[in-house]
Amino acid sequence: MSAFNEERVLSVHHWTDRLFSFTTTRDTSLRFANGHFTMIGLRVEGKPLLRAYSIASANHEEHLEFLSIKVDAGPLTSRLQHIQVGDPIIVGRKPTGTLVIDYLLPGKRLYLLGTGTGLAPFLSIVRDPATYEKFEQVILVHGVRTTDELAYHDLLVEHLPAHEFLGELVTSQLRYYPTVTRESYRNMGRVTHLIESGKLFSDLGVPPLSPEDDRAMLCGSPAMLRDIKKMLEVRGFKEGNTSTPGDFVIERAFAEQ
Amino acid sequence: MTHVVTDGCVRCKYTDCVDVCPVDCFREGPEFLVIDPDECIDCAVCVAECPVDAIHAEENVPEAMRGFVELNARLAPQWPAITRRKAPLPDAEVWKARADKLAGLAL
Repeated sequence: MSAFNEERVLSVHHWTDRLFSFTTTRDTSLRFANGHFTMIGLRVEGKPLLRAYSIASANHEEHLEFLSIKVDAGPLTSRLQHIQVGDPIIVGRKPTGTLVIDYLLPGKRLYLLGTGTGLAPFLSIVRDPATYEKFEQVILVHGVRTTDELAYHDLLVEHLPAHEFLGELVTSQLRYYPTVTRESYRNMGRVTHLIESGKLFSDLGVPPLSPEDDRAMLCGSPAMLRDIKKMLEVRGFKEGNTSTPGDFVIERAFAEQ
Repeated sequence: MTHVVTDGCVRCKYTDCVDVCPVDCFREGPEFLVIDPDECIDCAVCVAECPVDAIHAEENVPEAMRGFVELNARLAPQWPAITRRKAPLPDAEVWKARADKLAGLAL
């Protein structure tokens, strides 16, 4: 059996000149946990050129969705940014990853801390009813540089709360905290600074981070992962993985190009 | 960077790592597995799967096992890919607690 499925692009949405998302068909045999990533890409001169991408859609949906940066010098994204509806795209048959609620111990609040395209796996997790069964409150923090990079803002603020099946859960349990570093916006500053200063918690009206009540998932740049991991460990949080659940989990497969 | 299979795998080959690898970068020799450093994307998902903790990020390979960094790189192109988990070696339970298991293997 091939390691890949060949899918077709169903839609493309360009958020900015550096950021876009797209949906594809999904082979009915492809199984994944919400929060997983898989390898996707294009055939270039007959050879598959692949990178790790978090799946942004939930596993109960019929299509797949991905969020990507565009890098002109990036071997894959320089090409991927030009895809059109109907184009073929390769999707790996082995989704995997650590950002899965089963790898977290039970807790009250789940923090989903993402920067840039690190938002993607959390879009899957906030569309999963099981997330709201396991946690009383889900706090999605998305850090970007400029307001136009707040991809999926309208989905999170308008469409999900009005969703036929998820709306009630989202309205009562999901908090969305977008923050911007290089422009004026209602929430400003890096996620790391907002945690360290405590502003994140006072803005949300929740107690400071504690390993008794809080759990966290991290997805972002290597520097962001390193800094927040350190901040959590200083507060007594223990990292979990696929074999031993913990207080926080990290996604290390990060597509930089 | 890459991840590296070290001494723990030798004469055991539990192969739990193989099922979770998104890039199928494990290569199978007669007595142990190695990781192809050109394919590994450092996602680290395999690390927690290994029942004998044989897999480390390259920068975290214990000093006594540094030789495995070169060994993985050298053997990966020579060995076939393994993409599905299989039964461990028959004596895996006997060998798993031992160290320095490369001794006596022709490599």
